[in-house]
Amino acid sequence: MAPVIATEEVTKVYSGDGVPVHALRGIDLIIERGEFTALVGPSGSGKTTFLNIISGLDTPTDGKVWLNGKFLSRMGGNALSDFRRDNIGFVFQAYNLIPVLTVEENIEYIMLLQKVPKSERHERVLAILEEVGLSGMASRNPPQLSGGQQQRVAIARAMVSQPAIILADEPTANLDSKIGADLLDMMYRLNTQTGMTFIFSTHDPMVMARARRLIMLKDGQIERDEVRSP
Amino acid sequence: MMLKIAFRNIFRQKRRTVLTALAMIVGFTLSSVFIGWSDGAYSDIISMFTRNRIGHIQVHHTGYLDKPSLYDVIDSYESIGEKIAGVEGVEAWTPRIYSAGLGSVGDKTMGVQIIGVDVGREVRATRFDQKITSGAIFSETAAREAILGVGLARILKADVGGKIVLVTQGTDGAIANDLYTIIGIAESGDKATDRMACYLHIDDAQDLLVLDGRVHEIAVLVEVLDRVPKITAAIEIQIDDTTLEVSPWQVVAKSFYRAMQADRQGDLIGRMIIMLIVAIGVLNTVLMSVLERTREYGVLKAMGTKPRQIFGVVVIEVAFIALGSIVIGALFGASLNYLLSIYGISLPQEFSYGGIVFQTMYAAVTVRSLAIPAVTVLVSAILVSLFPAIRAARIAPAAAMRAH
Ligand SMILES: Nc1ncnc2c1ncn2[C@@H]1O[C@H](COP(=O)(O)OP(=O)(O)OP(=O)(O)O)[C@@H](O)[C@H]1O
Ligand SMILES: [Mg+2]
Repeated sequence: MAPVIATEEVTKVYSGDGVPVHALRGIDLIIERGEFTALVGPSGSGKTTFLNIISGLDTPTDGKVWLNGKFLSRMGGNALSDFRRDNIGFVFQAYNLIPVLTVEENIEYIMLLQKVPKSERHERVLAILEEVGLSGMASRNPPQLSGGQQQRVAIARAMVSQPAIILADEPTANLDSKIGADLLDMMYRLNTQTGMTFIFSTHDPMVMARARRLIMLKDGQIERDEVRSP
Repeated sequence: MMLKIAFRNIFRQKRRTVLTALAMIVGFTLSSVFIGWSDGAYSDIISMFTRNRIGHIQVHHTGYLDKPSLYDVIDSYESIGEKIAGVEGVEAWTPRIYSAGLGSVGDKTMGVQIIGVDVGREVRATRFDQKITSGAIFSETAAREAILGVGLARILKADVGGKIVLVTQGTDGAIANDLYTIIGIAESGDKATDRMACYLHIDDAQDLLVLDGRVHEIAVLVEVLDRVPKITAAIEIQIDDTTLEVSPWQVVAKSFYRAMQADRQGDLIGRMIIMLIVAIGVLNTVLMSVLERTREYGVLKAMGTKPRQIFGVVVIEVAFIALGSIVIGALFGASLNYLLSIYGISLPQEFSYGGIVFQTMYAAVTVRSLAIPAVTVLVSAILVSLFPAIRAARIAPAAAMRAH
């Protein structure tokens, strides 16, 4: 089976204010299905840029990206948008729940875009809420939840439509380390239960400790890539 | 879901929503009053013009309106009048006789328009008694009396109690003349009419012109101005006579009617007021909220929402606010117009239009005064929101990833 993600010589140059910034300088990477991988590196090393590019949120200056066997650069506008909807779940550092929607509405949003029938949506929301330990919170509004709870909702939202891959950019950076560790443990449990691929960037040593594979970036290049046994 | 988001977004920044709505409400109300007021003024002008002078509907011998002739007469006008009176919505009718002639007072002679009126009916229909500025009105039976227009009296240096000699031609072709006592002076409000008019009792006029109980015109007054077209048609059916022509005031006073139509610029001004206020009040606030929600829209896009759906969220939110504002604005506008239609506004200075003098202007609660602002508010709000909506639709989904 094809790897979930494959990149070839991916470079990214930002041309901010005249001075070009080389955010990525040739990344070759293969990520297999079911990995639980951390992307680490100092600030400005290109982690966010790389996540944006492999998810089709941003385009590389040069190089090739395949996601779930699809060649991303050939996809335009709406097709890419549908592809993201069906294949990638996003978790953000700032949770980024839609504040005017309830927990349930936030989680069912993607299924709504996918036109999943109402009863099935409801069932799946309840099931995933139980998985992330938030049963009974379906009708709450995000601002009424703690940061850790909001991030759990965000993970539920990313996972509920069963995408091939979950991308999380510093998912624990806004959380206490205890709550962050719990969240990571939960993500790992879901990873082993569902076989979904998780890729997350982090600065946090505690988070790194839980990763199965560590990819270290520095100045837009892969400095080290190590697989660890559990 | 997009509707839900748009709707709930309204309540997020209450102050901003209130400000946006306020702009639309103020715009709506102002222009509603503007249009209601100009509608009121125009219907006042029209109703004075028709009520005091030409009547709402006129009946003539066919062709008389285009080319008035002494010989184009209405026979047995009494029975036609009875038929007209039977039509629903008709308030009054009055017969008239017209002829050109010469009038002499002392050594002064002027061209005059001889107007024969049925005094009782004319008073009921056009309040002829109120036009008499000095002297008296005709008595019921003919007594060789004349009432002069105020301008004519001045030119002829005539006064109440004096005598006037009228010379004209009768329908028998012979020259007709007679002597009348001037019993009153009348002011119709129209200077041109007042310079020419010499009113006679209808029987005297028939005698002078040898008309034998016939008249040139029947003027009809209706109860509700807006129903003139319907009543015109009903009268036509009722009298059922192809030698007669029934014309609404719009046809009788063609040039007046056209001038009124052309003058209706109140609508345009009303619309521009709204557009301006809405544009100023809405553009900024919508742009601000789009900017503030950049990350949120970015998240929606990252998750697979299409640009046009984001576009819709922004436009629909504005449309919701606009609809709410229209409801509130309609309440304000209608009640203000209603108050102004009862109390009116006294003008600091009289002004006259088409020879009619106004001192107090009244507004009117019309459908137009609500419909035009409503459509304009909605359309301009949506137009103004297009630009921010396009910006929102174009937000890069990567914006969602950036923490700040
Ligand atoms: N939109 C942009 N325009 C210009 N330069 C950018 C832009 N986004 C990122 N960069 C630059 O690209 C480089 C890599 O940034 P990136 O955000 O990918 O780093 P990061 O590893 O995620 O850092 P952090 O740990 O602080 O989140 C940095 O030098 C950054 O300043
Ligand atoms: Mg980053």
